[in-house]
Amino acid sequence: MSERRSTNTTYLLVPILLIAVLLGTAAIRAPNLVSLPGVGSAIIVAAPLTLATYALMALAVAGRGTVDLAVGPLLAFINVSIVKLNMLGVVTGPFGIFLVALGIGMLYQLAFALIIIFVRVQPIIVALSGFLALTGINLVILKRPGGMAPEWMSSWGLGNTIFSPVLLILVLATAGWLIFTRSSFYANLRLMGYDERAAYTSGVRISVVRIGAHLIAGVYVGLAAICYTALISSGDPTQGTTMTLTAVTALVLGGVALSGGRGGVTGALLGAVNLFLIGYVLATFNFGAQQAFVTQLFYGLILVCSLLLTLLVPVIGRYIWFISPYAAFAVLGCVVAGIMLHVGTAETYLTASAGDGAGVAAAGDLATRFLLLPPSGGPTWTGLAAPTPLQQAVLALVVVLGTLTVVTRMVVAEALSYRVGLFLYVFVGSLILLLLLLAGQSHAIGV
Amino acid sequence: MTFPRSLVLIWLNLVLTLVVAAIGFGLGFAQDLPAQQVILYTLVSVAVMFWVTNTVAVAFERRQREEVVPVPASAGGAGSVWSRNRVLIIAMAVLLVAYLIVTATVPSFRTLSNLIAFLVLEVILVLAFKVSKVFEHGRSAFIGLIVLLALVVISSFTIKGFLSEANIKAILLFAAFLGIACVGQTMVALLGGLDLSIPFVIGAANIGLLYLIGLGVPSPVAAGMVLVIGAAFGFLNGLLSYKLQGQALIMTLGTGFAIAGLVQIITSIGSQFSGNVFGTVPAWLSNLAAMNGRTFGLGVPPTIILWIAIAIIVIVGLRYSTYGRNLYALGGNRRSAKLIGISELKYWTLAYTLSGFFAALTGSLLLGWSGGGFIGAGDQYLFTTLAAVVIGGTSLMGGYGGYGFTVIGVLVLQILSSFLIGIGLKYEWQQFIFGLLILPMVALYGRSPHIRAQV
Repeated sequence: MSERRSTNTTYLLVPILLIAVLLGTAAIRAPNLVSLPGVGSAIIVAAPLTLATYALMALAVAGRGTVDLAVGPLLAFINVSIVKLNMLGVVTGPFGIFLVALGIGMLYQLAFALIIIFVRVQPIIVALSGFLALTGINLVILKRPGGMAPEWMSSWGLGNTIFSPVLLILVLATAGWLIFTRSSFYANLRLMGYDERAAYTSGVRISVVRIGAHLIAGVYVGLAAICYTALISSGDPTQGTTMTLTAVTALVLGGVALSGGRGGVTGALLGAVNLFLIGYVLATFNFGAQQAFVTQLFYGLILVCSLLLTLLVPVIGRYIWFISPYAAFAVLGCVVAGIMLHVGTAETYLTASAGDGAGVAAAGDLATRFLLLPPSGGPTWTGLAAPTPLQQAVLALVVVLGTLTVVTRMVVAEALSYRVGLFLYVFVGSLILLLLLLAGQSHAIGV
Repeated sequence: MTFPRSLVLIWLNLVLTLVVAAIGFGLGFAQDLPAQQVILYTLVSVAVMFWVTNTVAVAFERRQREEVVPVPASAGGAGSVWSRNRVLIIAMAVLLVAYLIVTATVPSFRTLSNLIAFLVLEVILVLAFKVSKVFEHGRSAFIGLIVLLALVVISSFTIKGFLSEANIKAILLFAAFLGIACVGQTMVALLGGLDLSIPFVIGAANIGLLYLIGLGVPSPVAAGMVLVIGAAFGFLNGLLSYKLQGQALIMTLGTGFAIAGLVQIITSIGSQFSGNVFGTVPAWLSNLAAMNGRTFGLGVPPTIILWIAIAIIVIVGLRYSTYGRNLYALGGNRRSAKLIGISELKYWTLAYTLSGFFAALTGSLLLGWSGGGFIGAGDQYLFTTLAAVVIGGTSLMGGYGGYGFTVIGVLVLQILSSFLIGIGLKYEWQQFIFGLLILPMVALYGRSPHIRAQV
């Protein structure tokens, strides 16, 4: 029973592990991330990729090896269309732009679905065809990167706050998929993706289901294009190929099966965020002129490694059945939240101590700065006298033992029953919210 | 050479051939070509034409013999004609309407060559729908050849100097680059895999070779090293993706990223021109791939000869060698191939090894052509190798197709692109038309059965 449950979502272990490592590294390497503008701009930069990955995910779940290679060029196509229409003054308002973006996305995907259903060629050939055609027509619409995004969009891409319209779009898109998974249509979709013949013989109207999956993907591509337009606030016909390759990579990093039937919004989200963080972390290391090449190399290596790790997932699932992805998420989330909390608040102590004149000479020394530095000027022990070394050791031992016990109990409990899951999500979620609040505070003080 | 049984058909073919030859003969003299050339071309066209018509006739006869008991002519009349040829009639009507609309609205469109092009397209449709059904195998090759023929006819009517020596040489040279890069893709596709690392290997080999030469390594040794490294990389690809065959697409993409990044890092250390490598390409390599290269005194770039040699070896090898037959067996049905003792790992890795090797070879040849190292040299091959394989008719699911098909696909792509350049279309329009072309081409022969037929 428990084994079966844990294998259902075991594929999420890899992305969760990766995201924890990356987020921790990113927070230590670039403390700017843990601030309101940092998180805000991170969301805005990652949003187009995330939404494009959602679109691919919806198609991948539909099976037949549907990897829409044309997702990047389609995104670029909508992007340049919006910009062109805006420059011509045809469509400028928010409603019209949304209508155009979603409309183009859905129309293209509808054509895609109809071709697969009625012409019955392999999806990858349709995708290839669409890729070449759209890449060409993009350059016809807009010769080179440029143009102007609609004016009302200009404030979206600033990223000086977390609560931007882009976040709203992202949250709505994610929630939309989660609500969609409750419907019987989704059950049919997964059945079709897993075994199309079984779905057909059990009376699922597979044509309708396939069209539905493509329409959903079309909506996501449209939203992704809007976020992308807001991000670069102009049109760019040349980024289609890159976007396709990164979105497919994110999809695989998130553990979505390209063969269909397996995958979800969690995996796609984790994959996209992972990919963004890889780029972010690599950018904090200075490789000089070779920066782009090193990034490329690591993209490739991480892609290969995460693919190879998915081979190990069944083995892991067999022997370590008691670690469920949710528990891993909770534990690692706590650790990472701790690191981020530390980084986010360290600045306060640093400024306080610097004002003290005690001198934080080794501010650049990471170990001193983040692990060993006593907050000399900050809050002091008030109630108790300073503990002796023996007391300190005992206290530390008790804390460690207590934490271990709680964590182990929670891990096992989570693996065996469903109920704790929601609690853990809320727990970790509130931790992260707290962290963001603190970070915002510290930023306000610091600047 | 096969002949049809009925004597009437032979005579008919002979007459057809002679009429075509006479037209060619007349046209040749009308264009003031040297007499020897006209005679030579006429003889060649007579031979080819006679052979093709006879093959078609034989196929027809065989089919009629198999259908001794024909389907009882049911309703008859217009109704049955419509129901049997629905798609064909609709397609022809759509083309006609499109032609009429364009002709009516754009005055400059009303030329004789456009009318000829339109008629040729209609004939292609009829041939593709009616005649290609006769061939059980190689239907895609038949359609591909007809499209090729039509393209040549249309372009030589509309574009001045299309059949000039320089243009043909250029088309063949670029086709040779693409064709050599496609060898591995075809083999991998025959096993049901895909190799997206080809463009990255081409780019990496391109700058890697120039870098090695710049280090002072003797150029033949450097070329050998690049080829060996390419093959080794392909071997690694095969090994890594063996257990993840469903995701070979992504796996090779990842390894491709990695190799391109790695080679760029190595070559750009200590150089301020990141990404580009400068150096002098040895004369023999330039001669190998440049437009004015010579093969043993002949005015043909050796790359074209090399491609032809490779094509013959690969086609014959796939058809007659044990390796080739086992490759098809594995692609067709893994399980039964394994049961007769074919090692899947061996063939899978070998296919990828060859793919890496030929990609590296293409990269090296492209260096000779361009004379400067550039990592983006292979970028356009990312999807065109795939497109050539698909247009040729090799199934991406494995087990069906061959390199001969891919050669047709490569030539179609290259001549079409030359035609589009000739009528003044830019690169982006070419790509758009390529994209729109793939779908109907594949739809003509690559349709899978309806799901109710698979249950």
